[in-house]
Amino acid sequence: MTAYAELMIGGLMSGLVVGLAALAITLVFGIARFANAATGDTMTAGAYVALSVSGATGSVIVGGLVGALAGAAIGVVVYFLIFRKLAGRSSVANLLASIGVAFIIRAIVGVIFEHQQQVFQLPLVRPWRILDIRVQPSDLNLAIVAVLTLATVFLILYATPVGRRMRAVADDPGLARISGISPTRVMIALWALAGSVSAVAGVMYGIKTVVTPEMGWDMLLPAFAAAILGGIGHPVGAICAGILLGTIQEMATPFVGFTYKLAISFVVLLIVLLVRPSGLFGRNEGAR
Amino acid sequence: MTILSIEGLKGGYSEVDILNGIDLVLREGQILTVAGTNGAGKSTLAKAVVGLLPRVSGSVRLAGKDITSLAPEKRAQNGIGYVPQVANVFPSLTIAENLEVVEGVQDRKARISEMFRLFPALAERKRARAGRLSGGERQQLAYARALMTRPRVVVLDEPTAALSPALVADSFARIASLASDGTSILLIEQRARQALAISNQGAIMDGGRVAMEGPAAELLNNEKAADLYLGHYST
Ligand SMILES: Nc1ncnc2c1ncn2[C@@H]1O[C@H](COP(=O)(O)OP(=O)(O)OP(=O)(O)O)[C@@H](O)[C@H]1O
Ligand SMILES: [Mg+2]
Repeated sequence: MTAYAELMIGGLMSGLVVGLAALAITLVFGIARFANAATGDTMTAGAYVALSVSGATGSVIVGGLVGALAGAAIGVVVYFLIFRKLAGRSSVANLLASIGVAFIIRAIVGVIFEHQQQVFQLPLVRPWRILDIRVQPSDLNLAIVAVLTLATVFLILYATPVGRRMRAVADDPGLARISGISPTRVMIALWALAGSVSAVAGVMYGIKTVVTPEMGWDMLLPAFAAAILGGIGHPVGAICAGILLGTIQEMATPFVGFTYKLAISFVVLLIVLLVRPSGLFGRNEGAR
Repeated sequence: MTILSIEGLKGGYSEVDILNGIDLVLREGQILTVAGTNGAGKSTLAKAVVGLLPRVSGSVRLAGKDITSLAPEKRAQNGIGYVPQVANVFPSLTIAENLEVVEGVQDRKARISEMFRLFPALAERKRARAGRLSGGERQQLAYARALMTRPRVVVLDEPTAALSPALVADSFARIASLASDGTSILLIEQRARQALAISNQGAIMDGGRVAMEGPAAELLNNEKAADLYLGHYST
C-alpha cells in the first residue's frame, strides 16, 4: 500500500511536468494554431540554463527564474525569426518548421553545454514520513512551483488586458483584428508565456531526474498526448490530462514494466478519444 | 461629403477573382444598401472593405485616405467598424470582455457604460459568455463591439439574417437611428425592400459586379430591379 502511495506521488510529479508542457503546447495551438514541436527542446534549454545559473549562484530558485526568462526569450526570438514569417501558412508548414527549430535549439544547447548528462546539485534532505509514506521535501517544493506557475498563467489569461486579447485571438483571429487588436503584440506575449512555461517544466523535470540534451524531445509525445486528451486549446484540460496521464503511467509501471510505460498514455488517449472525440474538456464544436 | 469610396475593386480568397471590379460611393451619414443573390460576393465585398480579404486590387478610400493596403486593425483604428454575417462575437469571452477587448477606444469605461445604456439587455448579463447568448442578444453585442470605437463607417453584413421575424423591424429601426446620429452605413441585406426603405442609395450585386445602382427610392420603383432581384411583393 505505501509503495503504491509513493508511486502515486511520483506519478503526480511527472504528471505536473507533462501538464505544464501540455499547457505550453495547447496555448500555442489555441492562438497560433499549430502543434509546436520545439516545446520539448525549449524545456531542455531552460533546464540547462537553470542548471548552470544555479551552479554559479548556488541558488536553484535564481537558476529556475533565469531558466524561465531564457525560455521566454527563446520563444520570442523563435517567433520573430521563424513563425512570424510563416503566419498565414498551413499548420503543417508551421509544425515542420517547429521540428526544425527543435533540432536547432538542441544543437545550440549541445554546443554551449556539451552533450553530457548533468544533475542539479541539491542538498540531500531526509524524506518525511507521513503515515509511513516517504515524501521528498523537494517534491513539495516542486509542486508549489507548478501551482504558482499555473496560477500566474491563469492570472495572465483571465485577469489582464493582454490575456483577454490572447483569448480573443484564440476565439477568432479575424474578428480580433477588426476589433483593433494587433496580432504581433499578442504573439509576443504568447511566445514569451509558452516559452517560460516550457522552461519551468524542463527545470522541474531536470530536478526530478537528470538533465540531458534529449530530455525535452523525449517528453514531447506524452505532452502532445496530454494536450490532445485535455481538448486541444484548453488550458485547464491540458493540466488535468497531464496529471492523469503521468499518474496512470507511474502506477501502471509495476504491472506493464518500464518499456511500455509510454504506451499506456496512448491507450488511455485512444479510449478517451473514442468516447469523447474533442477530448476531456474540449468543446464539441468541430475543428478548433 | 464622400466618406467611403470603392474604385475598380477586384479580388478573392485565392487566385480566382470573386469581385470583378466594383465601384461604389457612400456619403457621410447615409445608408448604402448592397443587395444581391446568394453567392453574388456581398460578404466578400464587406471583407475587402474591412481588410480581411487576402487578395485585392483597385482602391478603397476612407474620407479621401487610401486604406487599400492597410491591415484590418489599422482600418479599425481609422474608423471602420464591422459586424460580420456570422461569428460576430468572441464566444468564449464574457459580454463585458467582448467590449473591453476592443482597442483604440478613448475613455473605454465610459464608452462601455454608454453601450450598456444603448443595449440594456446586455447590461443585465455582463458576466455571461457570449457563446451562450440568443440570436438577438448576440446581434446586440456584435453592434456594441463594433460601435465601441465610434466608427465613422460601419459595415453590416446581413444584420437581420439570424433574427427571429419579430426582431427584424427593430433591427432596421436601430440601423436608421444609427445613421441619423451621423454614422455612415454600408448595409448588406437580403431583405432588400426593407433595407432600401431606410437607405439613401442602393446597389444590387450579381456575379461579383454591381448590376444596378441608384437612389434607394428609384431602385424600389424600378420594374427591372423588381423583376430580377427584389421580387414584386410589397412590404
Ligand atoms: N472563405 C472563402 N474561401 C473561398 N471562397 C469563398 C469564401 N467565402 C466565400 N467564398 C466564395 O465567394 C463567392 C461569394 O461569396 P460571398 O460570401 O461573398 O457571397 P454573398 O453574396 O455574401 O452570399 P450570401 O448571400 O449567401 O451571404 C462564393 O462563390 C463563395 O463560394
Ligand atoms: Mg454573405
